[in-house]
Formats: sequence, structure tokens, C-alpha cells
Amino acid sequence: MTVVACLKWVIPRVDDDDRFAGISAADQSALEFALLSARPGEDVVAVSAGPLGAERALRDAVACGLSRAIRIDLDPRASSSAVASSIASAVAGARLVWCGDYSLDRGTGSMPGFLAARLGIGQALGLIDVTIGDDSMSVVRRLDGARREIMRVTGPAVLSVEGSTARLRRASLRGVLAADNAIIDVIAGMSSPIDAVDEKPYRPRARALAAPSGTSALDRVRSLTDAGTATQRSETVVLDPPEAAARIVGALRDWGYLG
Amino acid sequence: MNRPDANDADVIVVGAGPAGSCAAIAAARAGRRVILIERGPFPGSKNMYGGVVYPRILDELVPRWWETAPVQRWVVRRSTMILSETGALSVDYRSNAWGQPPYNGATAYRPDFDEWLSRQAVAAGAQLVTSTTVTGLLRDASGRVVGVRTDRPDGDLTASVVIACDGVNSFLAKEAGLYSATDPSNFTLGVKETLALPKHVIDERFGVRDDQGVDIEILGGTSGVNGGGFVYTNLDTIALGVVLKLPKLAAQKKRPEEIIATLKAHPAIAPLIEGAEVKEYSAHVIPEAGYSMMPTMVTDGMVVAGDAAALCLAAGIWLEGVNFAMASGMCAGEAAAAAVARNDVSAKGLAPYTDKLNATFVLRDHKKLRKVPGLVLSDRVQQRYPAFVTSVVERVFRVDNPQPKPGLRRIVRQERKRAGIKLSELIRDGWTGLRGFG
Amino acid sequence: MSALVAVVPVRAGVVPAGGLEAIAEAGGRAILIGSGASTATTDLGAARDVTVVDINVSDPQAWGRAAADVLSRLGLADSVVVPASPDGRDLAPHLALALGVELFSGATEVTPTRVRVARRGGLAIAEHRPAGRFVATLQPGVRGVDPASMAPTVNNVDIGAPESSTAVMSQEVLPPDVSTMDLAEAPRIVGGGAGLTDAERFAQLAEFAKSIDASMGVTRVITDRGWAPHQRQIGTTGIVVDPKLYLAFGVSGAVQHTSGLGQPDHIISVNTDAHCPMMQMADLAIVSDANAVLDELAALLSKDSAS
Ligand SMILES: Cc1cc2nc3c(=O)[nH]c(=O)nc-3n(C[C@H](O)[C@H](O)[C@H](O)COP(=O)(O)OP(=O)(O)OC[C@H]3O[C@@H](n4cnc5c(N)ncnc54)[C@H](O)[C@@H]3O)c2cc1C
Ligand SMILES: Cc1cc2nc3c(=O)[nH]c(=O)nc-3n(C[C@H](O)[C@H](O)[C@H](O)COP(=O)(O)OP(=O)(O)OC[C@H]3O[C@@H](n4cnc5c(N)ncnc54)[C@H](O)[C@@H]3O)c2cc1C
Ligand SMILES: Nc1ncnc2c1ncn2[C@@H]1O[C@H](COP(=O)(O)O)[C@@H](O)[C@H]1O
Repeated sequence: MTVVACLKWVIPRVDDDDRFAGISAADQSALEFALLSARPGEDVVAVSAGPLGAERALRDAVACGLSRAIRIDLDPRASSSAVASSIASAVAGARLVWCGDYSLDRGTGSMPGFLAARLGIGQALGLIDVTIGDDSMSVVRRLDGARREIMRVTGPAVLSVEGSTARLRRASLRGVLAADNAIIDVIAGMSSPIDAVDEKPYRPRARALAAPSGTSALDRVRSLTDAGTATQRSETVVLDPPEAAARIVGALRDWGYLG
Repeated sequence: MNRPDANDADVIVVGAGPAGSCAAIAAARAGRRVILIERGPFPGSKNMYGGVVYPRILDELVPRWWETAPVQRWVVRRSTMILSETGALSVDYRSNAWGQPPYNGATAYRPDFDEWLSRQAVAAGAQLVTSTTVTGLLRDASGRVVGVRTDRPDGDLTASVVIACDGVNSFLAKEAGLYSATDPSNFTLGVKETLALPKHVIDERFGVRDDQGVDIEILGGTSGVNGGGFVYTNLDTIALGVVLKLPKLAAQKKRPEEIIATLKAHPAIAPLIEGAEVKEYSAHVIPEAGYSMMPTMVTDGMVVAGDAAALCLAAGIWLEGVNFAMASGMCAGEAAAAAVARNDVSAKGLAPYTDKLNATFVLRDHKKLRKVPGLVLSDRVQQRYPAFVTSVVERVFRVDNPQPKPGLRRIVRQERKRAGIKLSELIRDGWTGLRGFG
Repeated sequence: MSALVAVVPVRAGVVPAGGLEAIAEAGGRAILIGSGASTATTDLGAARDVTVVDINVSDPQAWGRAAADVLSRLGLADSVVVPASPDGRDLAPHLALALGVELFSGATEVTPTRVRVARRGGLAIAEHRPAGRFVATLQPGVRGVDPASMAPTVNNVDIGAPESSTAVMSQEVLPPDVSTMDLAEAPRIVGGGAGLTDAERFAQLAEFAKSIDASMGVTRVITDRGWAPHQRQIGTTGIVVDPKLYLAFGVSGAVQHTSGLGQPDHIISVNTDAHCPMMQMADLAIVSDANAVLDELAALLSKDSAS
């Protein structure tokens, strides 16, 4: 049996400088859990679907003590479901597949769900706590409204974890030196639709408003236009730290938060 | 440790800055097994400097380096500027030939340059290990250095020779006992801002085009703290900074940011950088006093190169370190490889390293200029000469018609007195300067 | 041209974060599916036309497939909007696969022909123009909720018990941790993000928060680094808050963060980047180093309390 870690190689910068590329904190946690949850005799395999540069991340993972690393040669813009299909064919039969809860660039968190569907195994996603037992695991998942769900994992499953759930071990120096020459299996990815679209900076959209509450027409207009409230006076200022601090305290006083 | 082949490597190089990468290239070229250890996530990731390299020395190590090196602009103008509070005197030299192969100097970003240089080391056969910090030296019973300890689990590595290229204030050179006490007056603080401007604006303001660049060194303008300044052009940024004498800085209770701000506001500087956006602010210590503070360079099983050996020339109109680092790294790599081949890595076996340094510009320049840092950073040169020189020039060039022009000799005498400079001092400093620079 | 329909996963009768927004985005047409769905039909905001499927399921795979099943039984060929709540986010891939259509996750705006999706940690938006039917998850908090119209028409559909995974089984749902409630209900919140450079800054931030009677919250980047516990994370996957005053130090204002922020009366943001979304939302946007400003604030307020 095998335990798999899915690692996405990302360049977390707008200038696409790949010297700063790597895997996210969430994927590092996933790798650590893969190493921790493998039973004696089980292989631990890391998979990354991406360009050649991804092999650097895989080598770093190998240095931490993997049995095998696979790179699926795939356009980094491939859709989550295409990534999942490619990964599924490379790791079929795995007992556990660990993922990060979302990737830094696409950031949809949907690859693990697609992967579970393709592999036909269970899923437990968005985990904030994992306790590994002898024959089952207890995991905690976030729900909305700050509620949490406790689940038990007894069979094959895809699990995705948040970044702070585990700290990746530091690879030994021998591991690092050996990983330089490790062989990384390269598999051709399935050709897939590319979601190539332009990206623009995020700007909040106008929100729908609840019905105006005032009784007179004037009140309603006032509450709709927010006239007379502080939100109208938005301003941007460049200040030295001491001036900035004074300005903040001043604003808190003006707005009545400080005596 | 008498069986060298049982070692993890023949040569371990600590630090993949310019010195380390060149040491690794040289040793690997000579057929040695080399491991190059760098604490950053990639070589150069955290390294900073002013911004100009003079890579002539690479002709030997990386033939036709200018075709692949990540250069911003080729320096075709070098100026030295003397600033008084409001005036400025520039000596400006331009040579468009410097903008042609084989080139002279270039502006470059260190993360680009250092990473590129480390790739040359890997291509030569060295193994590069990043994100790994060397935390100590391994020694045998006789005290000879036989390897390093790193911050990774299972992190000891053995080698016949360790080359310490870990930069200024070298922890390894100190641990090996090669430095006598370090005196803060031997260091300066370098502070730099990277200022963004569109390329065509930089071209216009500095009178250059295409990939031509400018290197300006500044005397004065550091708010009374002894030191100097610099302005370099990159493609679409300007590097502007100051180097400040540490004890003076402390005594004057000025913050480096304030000094940079004052320099930026100087009438001769402000128009060059007007409208620029600050992209980055960084600071780093520089070994300043040059020849007089150099450590012993060699001990049993170890040599020291680059800033770690204080091989940096920061004397007012010169701010060079990368070239010395590369040259000394190369010599260290060659000497280490030869010592391994001869199976004598004692201090004596490694001594050819120092001989090589003495025979090249590395130590010759430092010896020749050994008094210059002291002179350039002296209170006289720093506090009084800029005002003196600029007021002399101001009076020579001022047109006071219908008054007749005064004679130059008279102006000099008057201004020297006004600046409080004794004639004997002026003569002595002139002589030191002539001998040093000449 | 097909329209939109919302699929809203209901758990124990609770409509998830962003459920009402998904219904509004779909023009009032919705399928409520899950445990206690039939008890969740009041206060549905803009809902006009609601189908209720009361099934006992918590396994997202079975949940997604059941939703696809309902859509085909109803003969609906519309594109689907699902709230990007934890349950919605987890079932959406299964729904999309079962329908054989594309999935757009984390959308900020959905129409039948255009989907805007948050990318790069919510700082960028990509616009898609899907040619055919699709499933999209809508980021909670991005559109606000339309005023309630009249009561919707409701009809029930029974699809029997779905088959759930046995490999992963839900054991228990825990209510919000009491240690988080001070944040969820706090009228004043001081938030810190990746612009603060080390773990110690968050101790300092908490201290500052205390000095102005505020609670401290952080961004996801900070909980990922382990510099603050999960209970301090503000946002769609953290705590949804609704303070009157929000002070942001080194927070970029990614959509997943600001979606959990409610509508504060006053926002102050300190950031070195004048153009990031948090600065644009702020009443007072200060371009400065947040670390240094914190040091100054500490000095200033301790001087204040001493005098
Ligand atoms: C403000 C300023 C301006 C300057 N301007 C110029 C200029 O314009 N032109 C010029 O030629 N020179 C300039 N210099 C000098 C120049 O930067 C240095 O002389 C040069 O970088 C020295 O190179 P090096 O390889 O010896 O050391 P460094 O460049 O300091 O490299 C040391 C390397 O070792 C690594 N390291 C350190 N300790 C360890 C450890 N324990 N384990 C593993 N790795 C370690 C570091 O990460 C680094 O990569 C300037 C310096 C300053 C501070
Ligand atoms: C499915 C999903 C769910 C998510 N859920 C959440 C959630 O619940 N909550 C959440 O917060 N995030 C969440 N995220 C993450 C979110 O997308 C952003 O990545 C995160 O909010 C960014 O946090 P940040 O602002 O701290 O960091 P960054 O985006 O890195 O911003 C740091 C900011 O600090 C500024 N800065 C840098 N240096 C300084 C300085 N010296 N002084 C002042 N300012 C400085 C920078 O200009 C920048 O604006 C989620 C993402 C996904 C994909
Ligand atoms: N191209 C990929 N290669 C390997 N793993 C991936 C890839 N894309 C996504 N993943 C995994 O799926 C998780 C969620 O990613 P996403 O669905 O893209 O937000 C990531 O944290 C990874 O563990």
C-alpha cells in the first residue's frame, strides 16, 4: 500500500520569479502527515503535476525521506479536475492521499474533492487537526459559524489539511545531498482544457443593501447614501511611524472609541 | 582523518556569495569533489551591496561571462562628487568603450548575479546545498579543521579543506581563531535604498542610453557622519546609499534613514531621483579598514576569502568588494585543490594561497591603499575639505563682474583659513593621497 | 438561455454562510438539500422558488451526487450556484462531476454567461465566459443579501436515503469554541496580517488590542505560520465577525478575509501598499510600516496611561 502527498509547485509572486517558488505551508503539512501516517513497509510517494521546476520541490520532499517522487508533466494552468484525473491515474490504489486545503495561486481547494471522486474513495477536507491512531484517524474539520466537525477515517481517503496543522520536518544533510541525484519519475499528463484567462486585481463588488429603514423619504435617502457618517471621509495618507501612531490615536478619539 | 577519500568532499566551501562560488568553480575545475553550502534559499537571496561589479577577474573562470551574466547596465560614466551643504563638485569620466565587450564594470542585482555565479559552480561539478547554515567547525585532535557542522539533522560533513567565504564578520574565521579582536571602528554600515523610475527617465537624467549606466561615488553629504555615498543606475531603478563609520554614527545619534533622506534632498541629488518610489531599504556591515584589519588567511585545513578575510575596499571613491571576493575565492579554490592533490593541507601546504593574493591586485591594491581609508574617513577630509574645495571652486567660477577675478592662490588661502585647515595638514594629506592613489 | 439555480447544503436545519447570497445570485431559485432542510425555509431573503430535499447526509460525495440527482429529476438544465461554505466547497466537485460540467470555485460574481473567480489568495480576479452549463461556488460575503421579498413557494422532493461513504464518518459537530466568542462578538477588532514580520508582533498586537478594549484577529497566512491559533482567524474559513471598528495592520484584504469582516462603521488600515483592497476599504488608510507603527502605538499608549 502507499501513502501519497500531493504537492503543488507555485510561484507566489506577481513577477513570476521562480527562484521564490515552492510548496505552500498547507502542502508542507500534507507531506509531514504522509510521512507520519505511513505504516511500516508502506511506500510514501509525492506527486506534483506541473512544469520541470516542480522537480525542485519534489527533491526537497525526497530529502525528507520519501520512497518515490512522481512529476506529472502538465501545464500549470490545467483545471483542477484535469489535475485530479492525471494524479488519480498515477496513484490509483493508494490508502491515503494527503493534500493541502487549497493552493496558493488557484486557491480553490477543489482538486482534492475531484481526486476523491476519481479515485472513488472517501474524503475529509479542510482539516485543522489530525490524530493518527493505529487503525483509524480522528480528524477535525472546520464548518462555518466557527463550528467544527469531528470525523473518523477508517478506510482509503483523500485528506486535505490547513497549513498550521503540522510543521514539516527538516531534511537531514545526508538526505539533501542524496536527493540531488534521486530519480524522479516523469509521467505525461492528460491533455486537458486550459483555463487561460486574464487576471485583474481584486476589487470588492458593490453590495446589495437591506431595505432602507427610515420612515420619511429624506431619512431613507440619507440612510441609503450614508450621508453624514464617517465612511464618507475615506483618505489615504503617507506618514512616518510616529505620525501614523498619533494619527490613529487621534482618529480613535474623534470617533469616540477612546476617552 | 588521514584517509581523504573517506571524506564527504575534498573541499567544502561555506557561503555562496561571489567569493564562495568562485572558490567552488576553481576547485571543481581542478577535479576536486566540492560541496558549496549556502544558508539562503538560493545564493544571493539575502545578499545586498551598492550595485556595481567589476568582473574582469571572471575572464579566467567564466570565459565570455558578459554574454550570460545578469547585468542591468554597463558602466560608461564614473563620477566622483564632492558635496558641501549646498554645492557640488564633480569629476566625471565617460568612456563609451566600457560599454563594449570585454566591458569594464556593470550594475547588477546581487540575487541575480550571485545565483548566476553559483550556477557556474554547479556546472563545473560542485554540489550546491541551500537553506543550510554552517554552525561550527569540526577539528581533529591536533586542532586541524576537518569539516563543518550544519544546522540540519545528521549535519556534519568532512573534507580535506574548508574554505570560509561566509562574508563580513566571519563567524568561521573567528571560530578558527584567525581574527584578533574585532574593533567596531573597523566597520562601516552600508545603507541603501532602491528607487524605481521608468527607464527612459533614468536615461535622460543620467545622459545614457540603451544598457549604458553610471556610477557616482560621493564624498560629503553624509550629515557630518564620516562616510560616503553612492548613486548607481540599474535598468529601471536607482541604487542610492551611504556608508557610515560606525562609532561616529553612534556618537552623533543620527539614524541612517535620516542621513539618506538628507542626501536625497541635496540640490545636486534631488533632481536625479525626483518622483522615484522607494522599492527597498536595506542595510549591511562592511569591513572598512582594509589591509590593517585582515585576519590570518590560512590555518591547518582551512582558508578564508572575500569579506570574511576583510578583502573589501571601501575608501570613499572606491566601493569594491565583489571583485576582490571573486579573485580571492578563485585563488583559495586553486590553492585548496592543489594542496589536496599534494596531500598537504596544513597551513604550510595552503600557504600558496597567500602568495597568490600577494602577487595579484587583491593584496597589492589593499597594500597600496592601506592608508587611504583612514585619510578619506578622517575628520578633515570628511568635515572640512568638502566645504573648502567647493567654496574654492565656487569662487573661481563665480562671475562677479565688474569686480576683477581674484587670483586662484589667494582664493585657496582665504578659503583654507576659513575652513580651518592648516597648510601642513593639507600638504601631508595630499602626499598620502598621492602615494595611495598614484 | 438557461438561468441559474442555487444548491444550498443544509446541516441540522442551518443554512450555511453565504447560502442566502447564493440564492439571491441565482435570482431566487434554490434547492435546499440536507438534514433538516424542511425546517430552514423561513428568512430566505430573496428566495422565490424553493425546492426542499430533506435527507440525512453529511458525506459531501453522497451530498453532491444527491443534488445532481434532484436536478435531473426536476428536469433542470440550469447552471448551479453553491455557497463556498465548507460543505458547499466540499460537495461542489462531486456535483460538477455527476453533472459532467465544469466547476468554477470561489466566484465573486456569477451570471449564466460570466463567472468572476478569486485567484492568488483572493487578490486577483479571473473572468470566465463559460459556453455551456457549469457549477460555481460563490464566496460568502461578496454580494450582500437582497431585502426579503414575499414568502417563496416551497415544494418538497423525496429521493430516499443516499448511500454514504464508510471510509470517513462524521462523529460529532462541535459548537463554536468559547475562546473564539470574544472575537465573533467583539465590537472592536484589531487585525494583523503578513505585513507583521514575526510571531512576537502578534503578542504586541494583542497587547495593543487590549489597551483599546479590542479583540485580536488575524489572517489565514498568520494561522498557517502558526503565529496565532485557528480561533483567531477572521474570514470565510475562520470566524465571521461584525465589529464596529476594525484596525488592520499589514493585511492585504483578500476576499476570503474581508468576506468574514461584516460591515464595520470605521476601518483603519496600515499598509506599505497604498493600493491593496484593505486600504481601499479603509476610512483612514495609512501608508507606513505596520511594525514600526505598532512600536510607536505601544509607546504612545503607555505614555498616555502613565500620565
Ligand atoms: C552597502 C554596501 C555597498 C556595497 N557596494 C559595493 C559595490 O557597489 N561594488 C562592490 O564590488 N562591492 C560592494 N560592496 C561590498 C561587497 O558587497 C562585498 O565585498 C562582497 O559581497 C563580498 O563577497 P563575499 O562572497 O565575500 O561575501 P557575501 O557576499 O557576504 O557572501 C557570503 C555568503 O555566505 C553566506 N553565509 C554566511 N554565513 C553562512 C553560514 N554560517 N552558513 C552558510 N552560509 C553562510 C551568506 O548567505 C552569503 O551568501 C558593498 C557592500 C555594502 C554593504
Ligand atoms: C479557500 C480559501 C479560504 C481562505 N480563507 C481565509 C480566511 O478565512 N481568512 C483569511 O484571512 N484568509 C483566508 N484565505 C487566504 C486569503 O486568500 C489570503 O491569502 C490572506 O487573507 C492574506 O493574508 P494577509 O493579508 O495577511 O497576507 P498578504 O496577502 O501576503 O498581505 C500582506 C500585506 O502586508 C503588507 N505589508 C508588507 N509589509 C508591510 C509592512 N512592513 N507594513 C505594513 N504593511 C506591510 C503588504 O503590502 C500586503 O498588503 C483563504 C484562501 C482560500 C483560497
Ligand atoms: N498541480 C498539482 N500537483 C499536485 N498537487 C496539487 C496540484 N494542484 C493541487 N494540488 C493539491 O491540491 C491541494 C488543493 O489545491 P487547489 O484545489 O488547487 O486549491 C493543494 O494544496 C495540493 O495538495
